Amino acid sequence: MISRASLLLLLAVTLSALPAAAQPGVSDTEIVIGSSNSFSGPLAFTGEQITKFGVDLYFRVVNDAGGIHGRKVRTVYYDDGYRPQDAVANTKKLVEQDKVFAIIIPQGSPPVVATLEYLEENKVPLLFPYQSSPVTRGKRYVLQGMTLSDRSSKMMIDYLAGQRKLKKFAALYQDDEYGKSFLTAFEKDLARFGLKLVAAESVKRGVTDVSAQVAKLQAAKPEVTFLVLVPGPGAQALKERQKIGWTDTLMVSTGPLTDERYLSLAAEAAEGVEGLSLWPDPLTSDLPGVKLYREHMQRYFPKNEPNRYSIAGYFVGMLFAEGAKRAGRNLTRESLIASLESVKGFESGILPPITIGPDHETQKQGFWVRVEKGRFKQLTDWLKSE
Amino acid sequence: MRHAALATGAAVVVGWPWAAPPYFVFLASLIAINAIVAIGLNLLSGYTNQLSFGHAGFLAIGAYAAAILTIRAPALPVPASLLLAGLATAAVGLALGVPCLRLEGLYLAMATLAFGFVVVEAILNLEWLTRGNDGLHVPAARLGPWAFATDTARYYLVVAVAALLIVAAVNISRTRTGRALLAVRESEIAAQASGVNLAAYRTLAFVVSAFYTGVAGGLFALVVGFLSPDSFDVFLSVDFVAMIIVGGLGSILGSVVGAAVITALNDSLAGFQNYRPLIFGAILVTSMLFMPGGIASALRKIPSIRRLR
Repeated sequence: MISRASLLLLLAVTLSALPAAAQPGVSDTEIVIGSSNSFSGPLAFTGEQITKFGVDLYFRVVNDAGGIHGRKVRTVYYDDGYRPQDAVANTKKLVEQDKVFAIIIPQGSPPVVATLEYLEENKVPLLFPYQSSPVTRGKRYVLQGMTLSDRSSKMMIDYLAGQRKLKKFAALYQDDEYGKSFLTAFEKDLARFGLKLVAAESVKRGVTDVSAQVAKLQAAKPEVTFLVLVPGPGAQALKERQKIGWTDTLMVSTGPLTDERYLSLAAEAAEGVEGLSLWPDPLTSDLPGVKLYREHMQRYFPKNEPNRYSIAGYFVGMLFAEGAKRAGRNLTRESLIASLESVKGFESGILPPITIGPDHETQKQGFWVRVEKGRFKQLTDWLKSE
Repeated sequence: MRHAALATGAAVVVGWPWAAPPYFVFLASLIAINAIVAIGLNLLSGYTNQLSFGHAGFLAIGAYAAAILTIRAPALPVPASLLLAGLATAAVGLALGVPCLRLEGLYLAMATLAFGFVVVEAILNLEWLTRGNDGLHVPAARLGPWAFATDTARYYLVVAVAALLIVAAVNISRTRTGRALLAVRESEIAAQASGVNLAAYRTLAFVVSAFYTGVAGGLFALVVGFLSPDSFDVFLSVDFVAMIIVGGLGSILGSVVGAAVITALNDSLAGFQNYRPLIFGAILVTSMLFMPGGIASALRKIPSIRRLR
């Protein structure tokens, strides 16, 4: 009984493995891409927005217009809940079972780093991971997504120490790859101005009470306090500052933190706070690409309010489509990487013209914002990090 | 019949990487690792009626121990690093077991639950050793000139260790110790009256359980290749408990089947996202209501399998 059942199972499994395409994920009619992402856990909202309402939104538009060189784009996602071992399993499944052509916008440093080596070994493109640590730099098959922390830091310090001549800086940072990569970069960039951080306090991931750290930072009397946190503790730091009446410091959020969620959690405590914004305001910007994004959102997902996560996903969908278009009908993993490297002055209508080149970095800019009446008000033009 | 079934099973296990697609080889390795944890947990729960919600903590200790050994002492052969990982975990199990096993039922469950959180915090804070939240990349393990660099090689390593530990578990149940544990399971009072030192045997079960889980943790580190405290949350401990409940308390075959069912289920539900806990919970409740002895006891009702135990 057992033997017959197991033989049948063996047969079924063997048969299911047979149809293997020459170029994984690309058929005459279809391109399959996907990622492991957070659909549960601390970053579930972000994960759902960047994929299902971002990447998928752009591909709905592309597919309804006939696809890319006659091929429709299909996406597959699995939930890792921010757990690296699940990200590894999901990514193997995507590559080996679903035979995806490329991985697009997986989220978070730990899950992404856990899959980095495997993807590089198997020559699977890892496109635009949604994380800012430079650990993903310098890989043949990785294209960076979000502006990396050292570039953000350069723009922030150049603007604050260079243009606004501020001198005393402190940082409240999350104690992981995200926070520490910013801290290292801040120290390096401040040194160019002959400055040092006067204080730095760390916050463990998942902790929301930051009162002790805020009190210690206040004692150091910095003119500027960087917040290198995620929305929950970031908003908590602003509320704590308001509670203890600490007014003579400028609180500044990093690119990944400057978002609407952080703003709404902090409510009136966010008034006057500044930060580096990586995206134009998804709700109010008049840029042609952002307007088009809002129209598409209204058409395909009318119940989903525009936000900077879905616009980030929408944008990387656009970059993928551009690369695949340039690669032509004969789309391979190698030709995709080569054609993305050749992207020069690409107009998205959302960000300034994109030139990728051999450093594989897609986003190198941001602009300065201040919170006024509960919204981010743009203070500068796009800042440069070259 | 029994021999034929065992031979077929062995043939399927050995031939699996040649017949199955690559992803299923990886998945089978995970199943075998979880089976080792489930057997270890079953040695504790099946015999002493104590549930542990802290086995993810033991898995983490074994995983980090093996990973750090592999990084710091690359020449150390795999069996040695796995053994050391198991022993380190068993030592922690002993230190935890001596005070905790004075607690009964729910209180022990709570203590083990807390233990799981403590281990994660310890990993976060021992940054010089574990790299904290950044995670630890685990290089390929070596055995002399051999490196376990492919999924197939790692699969054979895992199933070889699993087979060894299954045989050991079957044999434990046939020794004096095993009979003492069985007596404890049937009635603690009667066992004590017959001269079984309850505290000692309970502690022993806890330590052996920790050893099994530590070895599984070492294999987990090698198979997954990356460790981070995020991997060892309380839900993983709950998964382990679910494995032995669905599979069958006190049954080795049940542990293996339970591990296979829960691992495969977790994998196939990865696409359902937020519905996963719901579907998962429904299956758990259903199996407790309609199959209280787990799959193992349900299988036993089929005559041709009964003789397999």
